[in-house]
Amino acid sequence: MDMPAYYEFCCRVKIISGHDVLERIPATLAELTARRPMIVTDKGVVGAGLINVVVNAIGGRVDITAIADDVPPDSDLRIVNSLARLYREKGCDSLLAIGGGSVMDTAKGINIIVSEEADDLMRFSGANALKRALRPLIAIPTTAGTGSEVTLVAVIKDHEKHLKMAFVSNFLLPNACVVDSRMTLTLPPAATAATGMDALSHAVEAYTCLAKNPLSDAHALAATRLISDNLLKVTLNPGDKEGRLGMASAATLAGIAFGNSMVGMVHTLGHSVGSVCGVPHGACMAILLPYGLEYNMHKNGHLTAELLFPMAGAPVYAATPKEERAQAVIALIRRMNQELYEATGGRHARFFKEALDRDGREMVPKERLPDIAETALRDGSISYNPEDLDYDDFLMVMEAAWEGRPLDTGLIRKG
Amino acid sequence: MKNFREVAAGKKSLKKDYVAVMMWFMGRAIQAAAAVDMAARKEFAGMPDGFTFALSVMPNGPHMIIGKDQRGFVRYKGWDPEGKKIDLDMKIKNIEAALLLFTFQESTTLATARNRLVVDGDVAHACAVVRILDIVEVYLLPKIIAKLAVKRYPGWSFRRKYLGRMLIYVRSIFGL
Ligand SMILES: [Fe+2]
Repeated sequence: MDMPAYYEFCCRVKIISGHDVLERIPATLAELTARRPMIVTDKGVVGAGLINVVVNAIGGRVDITAIADDVPPDSDLRIVNSLARLYREKGCDSLLAIGGGSVMDTAKGINIIVSEEADDLMRFSGANALKRALRPLIAIPTTAGTGSEVTLVAVIKDHEKHLKMAFVSNFLLPNACVVDSRMTLTLPPAATAATGMDALSHAVEAYTCLAKNPLSDAHALAATRLISDNLLKVTLNPGDKEGRLGMASAATLAGIAFGNSMVGMVHTLGHSVGSVCGVPHGACMAILLPYGLEYNMHKNGHLTAELLFPMAGAPVYAATPKEERAQAVIALIRRMNQELYEATGGRHARFFKEALDRDGREMVPKERLPDIAETALRDGSISYNPEDLDYDDFLMVMEAAWEGRPLDTGLIRKG
Repeated sequence: MKNFREVAAGKKSLKKDYVAVMMWFMGRAIQAAAAVDMAARKEFAGMPDGFTFALSVMPNGPHMIIGKDQRGFVRYKGWDPEGKKIDLDMKIKNIEAALLLFTFQESTTLATARNRLVVDGDVAHACAVVRILDIVEVYLLPKIIAKLAVKRYPGWSFRRKYLGRMLIYVRSIFGL
C-alpha cells in the first residue's frame, strides 16, 4: 500500500443518511441552536416537488423564515449578494441548502457574507482566508454526484467581471448533511447517470492521483463499490429506493475522498470543457475518466489495477492477471458508459462528438478543442495529476475523447 | 504569556540562509530564462505588465520576488517584499518544507500534494509560475536531480538544453 510520508485528512460533517431522515432536520437545527433557517434552492428542485417533501417532513416544528429558490445552474456573485440581503432582512440564523453543487456553493457564499458581516466576498477568496466558524449550514443533496455536502470548497462566479473565485476553508464544511433517498428518486435517468459518473470520477481520481492517503483511500474504495453496484440499476429503475440510497452514500463517500485528496486531469479537462462549451460537469467526467486513467497508466497503473476489486468483485479480480487489471478497469468504465448510453435512450454521451444540448445541437464543435486545451493550462487541479500535460498533451487527449477512440499510447510522452 | 521565552533561532537561521541563497540564484535564473527561453517567455507573456509574484517561506521569509515591468521586461526584484505590491504570493508553509524543496529531497509536485504550498492570488498565474520553475530547474540542475524536481523530464534539443544552460548560468551570475 502506498504510504505518504505526510498527509492531512479532515471531515467534520455530521452525516445523517437513510430513507426517512429529513424528519431529523428540526433536531439537527436544535443541536446547532438554530431556529430560523433560510432555505436556499433552485427552480428545478422546487419544480420536482422536493421543497414540499422537506417542508412536510419538518412539519411546522421549525419556523422556515425564508425560501430563496432563484439559484442559477452556475453560482453567481450577484445572486449570492441579493440572497445574503434577504437573509439579513428576514432575520434568519441558519441555512438549509437543498440542491446540487451550485446551490451548495451559493449557500456557502451567503454564509460567508452574513457571518463575517462582509460586503465584499472577494476579500475571503483563496485558501484559509476565513478565521472562525460561520452560521449553521445543513446540506441536503438532491443529486448523487458532486459531494459538495462534505467538501470545504465553494466556487462562485462573478459573471460581470468574468472571474471565478474559489473559497477554501474548513469553516465552509457544512455542520451536517441530511442524505435522504427521497431527494434523488425523481432525478431523471440521464442526470442520474452523469452525476453518478461524477461521483465515480471523484473516487477514482482521489485513489489514483498524487495526494492520496490511507484514509481517503478507504472512502474512495467504498464509493467505487457502491457506484458499481447501483448506478446502472437506478438509471434503469429510478424508483429503486435502496439503489438511490446506495448512490447517495457513494457520492458522499467520494466527496470526502476527493475533498481531502483532490482530483487530477479528468477534472482539469472537464472544467475546461464546461467553461468553454457549457457541457454539464457529470457528462464531461463520464467521457474523460477512461482517458485520464490511460494517460497516467505508466505512473499509477498499479493503483488503477486495485480498483478492479471494488468494481468487478473478488472472482473477476482473482481471475484477471495482475498486469491486465488496470486495462480491465478502463474497459469496465467504458462498458459502464455504453450501458448508461443504452439505459438513457442515447442521452448519456460516450464521447464529446455525441454530446448534444436540449435542442439537439452539437455542444463541442471540433474547432473548440484548442480553446479547451488552452483553458486547461490555467486550472490548478493539474498539480495533483501524476503525469504532466502541456498544451499538446491536452489537445491530444481531447481529440481522442471527442472521437471516442482509445488513446494512442505511442503519443503519451514519458519523461 | 509574560513568561514566554523566545527560543533563539539557532539552526533555523542556517536553514534560512541556505534557502535564501537558493532563492536568490533561482530569482536571477528566472530573469535569465525569461530572456533566453521561448517557453518561459511565452508563460510570462500571459501575465499582465506590472505583474509581480513571489515565492515566500512562512511566516517571515525569505522571499523571492519577480516582477514584469511596464515594458514587459522580467526582473528579479530581490528578497524584500517591503513596499512592493505582490499580485501572487506562493507561500511555503514553513522553513523545513522549503529546505526539503531546495535540497531536492521533495519534488514541487509532492510538496503540492502534501499541502506544503499555499497560493495567495490567481490560480491560473500560479500554474504558469509552476511551469516556469520547472523550466528553470531543468536548466540549472543536472538531469539526475532535475528528474526528482519535475514531473516529466522534457526531451529538449541539445541546443536548447546546453546552450540555454550556459547562457542562463552566465546571465544569472552576472545578473543580466
Ligand atoms: Fe467532479
